[in-house]
Amino acid sequence: MPLKRRALLAASLGAAVPVVGRAAPEPIRVGWVTALTGASSAPGIGFDRGVHFAVDEINAAGGVHGRPFEVVTRDTQGDPTKAVNASVELISRQKVVAIWGPVNSGEALATTPLVARSRMPSIHPCVIDSLIDPKKYPNAFRLAPANVQWEAAVRHYCLDIVKAKKIAIVGDTTGYGTTATRDSVADFQKAGANVVYHDLIEATKTDVTSDVLRMQDSGAEVVVPWSVTTGLLARLLNVRGARGWNVPFVGHPALGSGEVKKLLEKPAYWEKVYLIGYRSCSYDANGKLPARTQAFVDKLRGKVELVDTSLWWISAAYDAMRLVVEAIEKTGSTEHEAIIGYWNTLKAYPGVYGNYTFTPQEHNGYPTDDVVMSVANSFRDGAYALAPGYT
Amino acid sequence: MLYAIIASGLATGAIYALIGITYNVMFSASRVMSFTAGQLGMLGGVFGAWFIGRLGIPVLPGTLLTLGACALVGVVTEIVAVRPVLKSLDQHLYVLSTLAFALMLQQFVAIEWSTEPQPFPRLVPFGDALVNQRFWLPVLAALVVIVVLEIMYRRTLIGRAFLAIAEDSFAARALGLPERRLRMLSFAIAGVIGGLAGFAGGGLLLAFFANGPMLSFYGFVPVALGGIGNNRGAIIGGLALGLFQQAASYMVSGLFVSVATFAVFIIMLLVAPQGLFGAPAGRRV
Repeated sequence: MPLKRRALLAASLGAAVPVVGRAAPEPIRVGWVTALTGASSAPGIGFDRGVHFAVDEINAAGGVHGRPFEVVTRDTQGDPTKAVNASVELISRQKVVAIWGPVNSGEALATTPLVARSRMPSIHPCVIDSLIDPKKYPNAFRLAPANVQWEAAVRHYCLDIVKAKKIAIVGDTTGYGTTATRDSVADFQKAGANVVYHDLIEATKTDVTSDVLRMQDSGAEVVVPWSVTTGLLARLLNVRGARGWNVPFVGHPALGSGEVKKLLEKPAYWEKVYLIGYRSCSYDANGKLPARTQAFVDKLRGKVELVDTSLWWISAAYDAMRLVVEAIEKTGSTEHEAIIGYWNTLKAYPGVYGNYTFTPQEHNGYPTDDVVMSVANSFRDGAYALAPGYT
Repeated sequence: MLYAIIASGLATGAIYALIGITYNVMFSASRVMSFTAGQLGMLGGVFGAWFIGRLGIPVLPGTLLTLGACALVGVVTEIVAVRPVLKSLDQHLYVLSTLAFALMLQQFVAIEWSTEPQPFPRLVPFGDALVNQRFWLPVLAALVVIVVLEIMYRRTLIGRAFLAIAEDSFAARALGLPERRLRMLSFAIAGVIGGLAGFAGGGLLLAFFANGPMLSFYGFVPVALGGIGNNRGAIIGGLALGLFQQAASYMVSGLFVSVATFAVFIIMLLVAPQGLFGAPAGRRV
């Protein structure tokens, strides 16, 4: 039967009227700024899994006050300029209630002052200390450790657990390597340690034999490398192994990277290498995760891939989403001041990745005691084993 | 300790020397200092890791494939970046054309291969610690290359044709020598030598897209030290550079190695602008 124009109009109206009557509630949008492609995308991809798992869970439970919870993702490709543009667009056009990310410090250094100007609630896991300053950036909160907390954990492990008396500290010539090495030397010396060797090595140096020889000659009992350059870290470990020098390496999380593993001449060269990790995402001596983390991993099973990423990335992103939702639910508001004000009252908020505490004066929310050392060659399902010496 | 520094210095020095010879071979046939020399070294490592490490091709055919691929890149360099600017050598347009082509090669490898250093396969099944292949293989490769080049240039007709082109390309062409084909062949040979630098030095350099600029940089020092076009000078200059770097790194600091290297380099150029083993160019009038 041919469809008449009048019948079509009536049908359209009939279909339209109920829709007007059941207008979908406006979603609550949160911005998510990260590198999902490009050279520095591995953390972003891991965090992204946690973000989407949390959003799906929140919406499956009815959303936030009956409104859908929506994440607006912007891929920065690791480029600070793109991160700035993405943040501006999220604030001015997408009208997000908060921003999660960026997740690398180079991008965060560019976006933090800009996001602070709009007083947009911002939460990120970047380590550079200066990114958090409640006076300059009252809107910015960190749910992962600052570099100073990493250093404290490394220092504690070297001096109190390994009981090393002579320390070698080495970094690469990047901005991060230079700063971290300088600060680490000063902090070790302040703690009364004998820093027998400290130096910087070009990140692309092809042979580090002479550098390792100098460390060895200095009598160092432990080496603390501050570098994210996997090639340099692997070269240092290869020379250490080839020379049969059996001192522990204690330092940056990149020491446990699969990229380092690939470049090692022998698997044995990865022994006695300890990287910065987190108690919540570490296996104990019995190979078990903490109960809260295990419950989370059980929820992830079959939904989120863990074998090629870090559990802490997933759990921190999950916690970030929960912190935004918690603030809106508890205050009944999506206003910036309400969310920031609520976060400032959190005391040991039980997330999966950690228990977060924020005050108006302190926006570094992660507990230093939960930063621990992990065994580099123990990676399994996104987590590492606790280094020897912890209980 | 001394043995470790010497082994390490000779190995890195041999890699620089091979890149220096790559510059020389390309320069001799074209009067062009091609900035693709370091990228050929980078490609030698990447092709080697790809053919032997990833595709599992046995070492000998993998080596031949690697060197063949680098020879091809050498020929393409001649066609794309050198030949079009030969008519205006005095304007030094080759600086731009070869640099642009070098950057294209690097970006292509970054996209298609990886931006992280990748492992280079073990080529010989023996040796450990300081007799590891990463120390002696580059030195052996440099010795083989210099011996083969010396024999070629002194004992073979084609080698003499290369020398004729290098000496005076107009006169050589007037004598009926196929200048273009000889130039392409010399770029192919340069490709092989550059590729061999990265391949033999793969244990040290790893298969890393960003090795090119570093090799171009340090590979130029032996050329300037030894005198442009002087392969024996490049070998001596390269080995001296490697030893100096490792000794300075051990005695002073790794951080000041580049500064020390280029300070010495500048002083040497001021004292002997034609290089330690080069002679001032004479022109028959």
